[in-house]
Amino acid sequence: MTELPEVILVEDSDEDADTLQQAVLRCAAKVQLRRVPTGDACMALLQQPRTALPALVLMDLNTPGTDGRETLRMIKSDPSLSTIPVVVVSTSANPRDVDYCYRAGANAYHLKPVRYAEHLEAMVAVLGYWLDRVVALPGRGGQT
Amino acid sequence: MSQASVLPPPAWQGQAYSTKRFGVSITDCDSEPVQTPGCVQAHGALLVLRPADLTIAQVSENSAEVLGAAPAALLGRPLHELVGPAHAARVQTLLQQPEIDCNPTYALTYVPAHTGLALDASVHTVDGVVVLEFEATGREAGQQRDFYALIRRSVAQLQRATTLSELGDIACAEIRALTDLDRVMVYRFHDDGHGEVVCERRRDDLPSWLGLHYPAQDIPEPAREVARQTWIRPLRDVDGGLAELVPLSHPDSGRPLKMTHCALRGPSVMYTEYLRNMGVAASLTLSIRRDDKLWGLIACHHYSGPFELPYDLRAACELLAQIVSLQHAAAEEREHAAYRQRIDTVQQQLVTQAAHEGGLAALLDGPPTLLDGLDTGGTALYYRERWWCAGNTPTEVDLDALRDWLAARPEMQLRDRPLFATDQLSAHYPPGQAFAGVASGVLAIVLSRSAKNLVLWFRPETTQTVKWGGNPHDKPSVVGPHGARLTPRASFELFIESVRGRSKPWLAVELEAALRFRMLMMELIVARADQLAGLNADLARSNDELDAFAYVASHDLKEPLRGIHKYAYQLAENAGQFDDVNHQRLAGLTRLTLRMDSLLDSLLHFSRVGRVELQLEDCDVGEVVEEALDMVAARRGEKPTSIHVPRPLPSVRADRVRLREIYTNLLSNALKYNQQSKTTIEIGWLTAREAAARTLHTAKAEEATQAMHTKQIKHTSWPPGASEQTVFYVRDNGIGIEPRHIDQVFKMFRRLHGRNEFGGGTGAGLTIVKKLVERHGGEVWVESTPGQGSCFYFSMPAVTGPVSRV
Repeated sequence: MTELPEVILVEDSDEDADTLQQAVLRCAAKVQLRRVPTGDACMALLQQPRTALPALVLMDLNTPGTDGRETLRMIKSDPSLSTIPVVVVSTSANPRDVDYCYRAGANAYHLKPVRYAEHLEAMVAVLGYWLDRVVALPGRGGQT
Repeated sequence: MSQASVLPPPAWQGQAYSTKRFGVSITDCDSEPVQTPGCVQAHGALLVLRPADLTIAQVSENSAEVLGAAPAALLGRPLHELVGPAHAARVQTLLQQPEIDCNPTYALTYVPAHTGLALDASVHTVDGVVVLEFEATGREAGQQRDFYALIRRSVAQLQRATTLSELGDIACAEIRALTDLDRVMVYRFHDDGHGEVVCERRRDDLPSWLGLHYPAQDIPEPAREVARQTWIRPLRDVDGGLAELVPLSHPDSGRPLKMTHCALRGPSVMYTEYLRNMGVAASLTLSIRRDDKLWGLIACHHYSGPFELPYDLRAACELLAQIVSLQHAAAEEREHAAYRQRIDTVQQQLVTQAAHEGGLAALLDGPPTLLDGLDTGGTALYYRERWWCAGNTPTEVDLDALRDWLAARPEMQLRDRPLFATDQLSAHYPPGQAFAGVASGVLAIVLSRSAKNLVLWFRPETTQTVKWGGNPHDKPSVVGPHGARLTPRASFELFIESVRGRSKPWLAVELEAALRFRMLMMELIVARADQLAGLNADLARSNDELDAFAYVASHDLKEPLRGIHKYAYQLAENAGQFDDVNHQRLAGLTRLTLRMDSLLDSLLHFSRVGRVELQLEDCDVGEVVEEALDMVAARRGEKPTSIHVPRPLPSVRADRVRLREIYTNLLSNALKYNQQSKTTIEIGWLTAREAAARTLHTAKAEEATQAMHTKQIKHTSWPPGASEQTVFYVRDNGIGIEPRHIDQVFKMFRRLHGRNEFGGGTGAGLTIVKKLVERHGGEVWVESTPGQGSCFYFSMPAVTGPVSRV
């Protein structure tokens, strides 16, 4: 039996992490969601011996220690990790952040709305798109 | 069509001019070639020599009478055939001296055989030719006058003059004593060109002309030009006649002789007629020059017949004219010294006042005000798009129009002297007639390059009575006995005129004071600009901080807000069911609200730290640390903690409350981020000298570390400035900081750990510490080894004394 595709959520806010969890439930995605609170924890997780790369990394920008920008840059500049889709989910609408992330190789940039319903809906859409619509690289799990 | 074609061509067109031939044909005084009259006064003779061989190229037609040899016998012959080889050699020697150009110098005394009358000859060069002038010596054979002895006394007197009129009086008296001329006057040119007799010495039986004014056209421009170039112009005999040069033009060059510097220069017919109309028989005119301008003349008239002015007397008079010119500025300065000093004192006070109060409006607040400096009726300052007035001034509407007119004046564009002054504004600016009562006199200076910012001083109209020596409104040219040509006026009847629209004139000392005031004001404005630049830099800095705030606010503050919203939303969806889950949600809501509150508090506190004025005092750091320890005592809890102070802490000049805040932040961090079984904290300090040694050591250690290719160990960043300041530190045995995160610890709301680890917190503490230390003029930095502990350092100015704001 193949393992479920892995989605890594880099998020230090429990509330936002819960919202994402709700979104996973809402769209009934067959994934294993792994939440890490910091960029360093994310890198540690990615560097563990593994059979497949995660299907998606959802990245908050403002995480303690190594922040989302730096984590994004590290993933995208590491040839063994750079093919992982990294989707930024951030509170910041600052053009400097958006610009930085796309230059660093982010696959998408989404805002986290303050309104819960909108936030949940956005996350459902993001998950639906990246897990159902996008053709993943071979050996990454996901829809076949 | 053109105006120029209206003037008929001169009668001598195409040939050399000669006053003797064409002098009565002059239709326009300003076109008369008075510097090349082609004629000499007939009592003397003139030779033009070629400089190479001293052969005679031109000679005055009267050479037979004066020198005993007709022109035909002289032309083309060498000079020594006339005066002998010794005299010719003397001339040759003088020609070697560069001063001889345009400067007649005594050369020789020659006694022609046919008269036995001694003649003095002076020599000068002009336009590459040599000019030799012969005149009667005016003294007995063998007698020599020492002209220096003649004027030594006069010079000493002139040097002591304390006012301009005293200087003029002395000059008139001395020249009259020296020459015995019937009337000696100082004739001053006013700004509009007309003249006034301001000093006079005369023969007792003559009427006084003192105080009389004469129209500008009495001395035409060509005559003024000669007066600018020479010091002395004698006319021996109004009726003495003219002797023409033979040939009239130089045979080699074809050019007329420039006679500007010749004592024998033939006068214009206009001038001799003018003198004759006044009953003058002979004249002598000396120039008074001031800063290369013709200030006036010393005009001498002789009535009782021709007047001999031999070379040595002429030289004495010339020297006196030069001394009067040299002493002129000094005499005027002495005359106005007290006034000048008063103006300067007031202006200095004004500028100090303006600098102190930080605004030019202070110039008019007083005392003193701008009105107390220059002697004026009113003053107006245009600055920052508005008028500031004092005393009697035109209305602001009139001032606006006057400002626009002044801004376009060429005088106001001058780089060094952007100044406009008039004692008769309406003559230049007709609308000024409307406010002539308060502002007939205007003195304006520019305060900015655009000529937009101005200071104006106003003088009221003073109705003046002017006594003219003849009606100035008479036409300068009338049909005279010689037909339709220019004739000088014949009437010198007293003409009394009442002049309106004029103020008391501006004195040179006032113009100079206005310009000095301008310099002071410009310095002040530049200083203010520097100050503003500094403020702008501050503003830019706080704008940067504001930017950072906006960013933080949009990011960090929204996050809890989102959580709050979420729980509220979920609570609302499950209204009425207060089970455990909902209770948890409510608890979360409360927690997030508190977090939001603390974030906002941190933000506000940080912004206050940047703004509030420090209350500096000498603080005992030991006491401050005790207080800080008390405040963080709660955090120490049950865990064994050792606080170590290796040596007594010094005093430092600081804001006590802020210093305590620095320590509470550092100490609470030291207590918080510690996983050892026993927390150890060391609170110490280094003198400036120790810090300097440490800086050096650190630099060497870093070199050594790099040499060994060791990546690990301490992150050190001793700032160079620390070597001049006292350095304080708080060292712990806590978790330490990864080198790559060192730079982040001082950033607002940056946390290195999950929000529930190490007791949480907003991540503002070290940002505030950094700000506080910088406000005190110091720096903050950290050394840390992960797993072993950190040491936070901050420096404070070592010397006790006022600390500049950062």
